[in-house]
Amino acid sequence: MTAVVPSPSDVVAEVQEGGSRYDRLIQPARVHGTLYTDPSIFAEELRKIWHRTWVFVGHESEVPQVNDYVRKQLADQDVVMTRDKEGEVHLLINRCAHRGLQVCDDKAGNSSSFRCPYHGWTYRNTGELLGYPYNKGYGGKKQLPLGMGKVARVASYQGFVFGSLAEEGPSLEEHLGAAKGEIDRLVGLSPEGKVSLDAGWLRHKTRSNWKFLAENETDGYHPQFVHGSIFGVTGSPIGELYSDNSTAVTRNLGDGHSENDLRPEFRGFAEPMRWFGTTPDRVPHYVAAMKEAHGDAADRVMIEGAPHVMIFPNLFIAEIQVFNIQPVAVGECVQYSTAVQFDGGHELNMRMVSQSIGSVGPAGMLLADDTEMYERNQRGVAMADPEWLDVRRGLHRESVDENGFTIGTATDETGMRGFWNHYKSLMEAED
Amino acid sequence: MTAIHPAGEIIESEFASVAVKLDHDGNAVRLRVEDLRTGRVRFLDALELESLVWLADGHLTQLLDPSHERWRG
Ligand code: FES
Ligand SMILES: [Fe+2]
Repeated sequence: MTAVVPSPSDVVAEVQEGGSRYDRLIQPARVHGTLYTDPSIFAEELRKIWHRTWVFVGHESEVPQVNDYVRKQLADQDVVMTRDKEGEVHLLINRCAHRGLQVCDDKAGNSSSFRCPYHGWTYRNTGELLGYPYNKGYGGKKQLPLGMGKVARVASYQGFVFGSLAEEGPSLEEHLGAAKGEIDRLVGLSPEGKVSLDAGWLRHKTRSNWKFLAENETDGYHPQFVHGSIFGVTGSPIGELYSDNSTAVTRNLGDGHSENDLRPEFRGFAEPMRWFGTTPDRVPHYVAAMKEAHGDAADRVMIEGAPHVMIFPNLFIAEIQVFNIQPVAVGECVQYSTAVQFDGGHELNMRMVSQSIGSVGPAGMLLADDTEMYERNQRGVAMADPEWLDVRRGLHRESVDENGFTIGTATDETGMRGFWNHYKSLMEAED
Repeated sequence: MTAIHPAGEIIESEFASVAVKLDHDGNAVRLRVEDLRTGRVRFLDALELESLVWLADGHLTQLLDPSHERWRG
């Protein structure tokens, strides 16, 4: 290859005078530090991204029974995910229509209706107002056209529940685009074609801007450095896949989504369950159930393994666990994480819980190392000079795959560039 | 094991707390329900319970209106 890595002066020259604010801050090979530190940009992100686009909130398996509910977060909004008596899932905004009290306080429960503790206004778990005490003060029963707030649009894909606070916009399937296939891949690893996220969520407060997490999730350049300890202790072969010798690729899936596709490596080994660090004889019931479910395709599914995909803006599926990232402030976010559970995959499920505890639990070795980087990143980027973060790695060796997606090598910043492209298009939209 | 409350097994949420147990003091068994927040007690016999099972959802929903009975004003 004779392509040349662009120099900073080339990059600056590309920026036109008079472009939008985000033309200046987001350039093909670098992004400005204030994107992570400026509270006015964070406020604009809430309006233009978090309150507009589809945001991952939770999973249907968290409310398995009629009238179950769980408290969830949608960016700065406290949301109650409920299942009504017809079985439909709702996302209510946790706010009383009377004087604005927070209605539900427990993390989870089962109730067909919610009674506000302040003056007793009572709502169905669909948000509909059922009644209020002493109704003469309102001219009788059923006189008020009020209810709890609702997330304007709710939709789910393979049980993953998303909410959009905007009445209109692309459908969830349009938003997910090529990322749908990655969710399908995950679900395909269940002999019953279904995953549950009901093992409980760990909650990690992180003093970092949310974008450092979204960018890092498919950054294949850092694992050999940051995760040396967990690779060493577990003897995991995964670290090797993130090097310049790897045939794995980083793929920009469009719409801000990206993945580290490790399948080329696993196909090379052609060993079922290698992706999980095990062999078929150690999980015989699972392998038999997969063969029963998938027939001849079972080996391919078990060779290729689970996806490693970051779905814009906040759902990260990391093979055996799922992260839900929610912003709190310009320099703070929360990472919720849980172990994937395959319906019909008991042998794997126990291992996935213990592996998740080892990687993202309170004494886990994976998330803690990443989080140390996120927080140091936030502290570093607050410094005055240099002003920019470099995202040019692999620009000169990108190519287009057979499906038209831009791909880089396992360690290239192709995913980040896809993230920034989409981010910029959302931030440049009208308020 | 959870300790047994003298009023029976507890069914509660953040919105209400009641205890239920079978009561054998009458000539036939009844369900004794105690609202643990106020101490108010109601007995429900077999026919009343059967009627509850058959109550249309809409009627049950009406009972949940706070001004239907308890805070009628
Ligand atoms: S604020 Fe909820 S009933 Fe008054
Ligand atoms: Fe008071």
